[in-house]
Amino acid sequence: MSAKRRRSYSIGAALDWFFFVFAGLAAIWLAVLSLTESFRVGWWGVPLIVVFWLLLAYLVLPRLHRILTTIYVPDYFIGRTRTSDGLLGDPVNLALMGEQAQVEHALRQAGWTRADPVTLASSWRIVTSTVTRRSYPEAPVSPLFLFGRMQDFAYQQEVDGNPAQRHHVRFWRCPDDWLLPGGRRVDWLAAGTFDTAVGLSLFTLQITHRIDADTDIERDHIVRTLTAANPAVTVDVIRDFSTGYHSRNGGGDSIRTDGDLPIVDVRGVRP
Amino acid sequence: MTSEHRKRPAFESPARLAQRPDADPHMKRPASTIAGGLLVFLRVAAGVLWLVALSANWPELIHELEVEIDEVLLTPDELAPALMVIWVIAGVLLAIDFVLGVLILIGFNTPRVLVMLFAVISTIGSFTAWMASGQEIHIDTTLLTVALDILILLALSSRSAAAYARRNEVR
Repeated sequence: MSAKRRRSYSIGAALDWFFFVFAGLAAIWLAVLSLTESFRVGWWGVPLIVVFWLLLAYLVLPRLHRILTTIYVPDYFIGRTRTSDGLLGDPVNLALMGEQAQVEHALRQAGWTRADPVTLASSWRIVTSTVTRRSYPEAPVSPLFLFGRMQDFAYQQEVDGNPAQRHHVRFWRCPDDWLLPGGRRVDWLAAGTFDTAVGLSLFTLQITHRIDADTDIERDHIVRTLTAANPAVTVDVIRDFSTGYHSRNGGGDSIRTDGDLPIVDVRGVRP
Repeated sequence: MTSEHRKRPAFESPARLAQRPDADPHMKRPASTIAGGLLVFLRVAAGVLWLVALSANWPELIHELEVEIDEVLLTPDELAPALMVIWVIAGVLLAIDFVLGVLILIGFNTPRVLVMLFAVISTIGSFTAWMASGQEIHIDTTLLTVALDILILLALSSRSAAAYARRNEVR
């Protein structure tokens, strides 16, 4: 049994891939059917168009992206996070040294709030707080992936109690033996961006937060709040770390940066 | 300096795609598994509705049917008990489908693969009929069952559903 179990591939996993790809192709056909059908049935076509959009934006395109990006997007560190569909997400623009407790303590001191995990209850609360325009300072952030893992935790700051706009930053613990390009060792990598509005992304056709293109403003805001709140926090900067990267995130928003990577050292913080 | 064997390769072998996902016995039941199970129940409900509709139209239907066995034309009276047979066969199939749905929700892998296999066969069937013989698929006819099959496939083939069904596999 053990010899069979230790194969590096598995028929079950290959079969899963067949179903995964087949379902993606079948979903395209279903989207075509619902679109042609919506032109046939008159006024009933309006809800069918909505069904078509839901199918396309939330089932078909993510599945196609997932298949294609698995094939061609490299899975090693390229200074970018990835969305759950495998598209390139927010840029990694911050590194940290220190234990998780120290990082979280420094963030709380600097006026940041930890984001709730995405659950049915927290998702529902986002909907109700958006509709009633109540503030939800612990609103969850969408999952982004680095090192093949979802963020370990995320922190955010609301702007004027408006759920559409917020500062937010996601954190990933680096694998133990992992070094930055250039050879430097850091404990955490983080991606901080500023949500400017909720809108329809023309990239994925989904409803998402648009982010501010100038990610340096958010990066510097995070560093400034951290150093201002606790004198034990020190900052070192790798100049022009990612100057070569200019692109779009998973929602199709363009990104500009001067490429500097601040390394925030919180090892002196006493939680 | 890290030692040579600890360095990560800069490229991925395609064989990685066929690797097992990391098994996590404690993972929570993902939304895709729940959606898949509920869609299977919906398909069972659609099947029951179809049976009820068939029974309601049965008297008219058998008057239009002409079934010959050994060159003897069966009368409507002789055809009437056939409904019972259809009920029994369809009932057993629907019951199996329902049980598979429950097993998927509990988190077994084989029922998940079986349900997907049937959905693939039925989808290929409808697609060939649509493509080759121009069979029309409308909202008031077969679009609903086609949609259910494809949605079941999408939900149950997703990575989270696969990882949940294989959470207890030994690597």
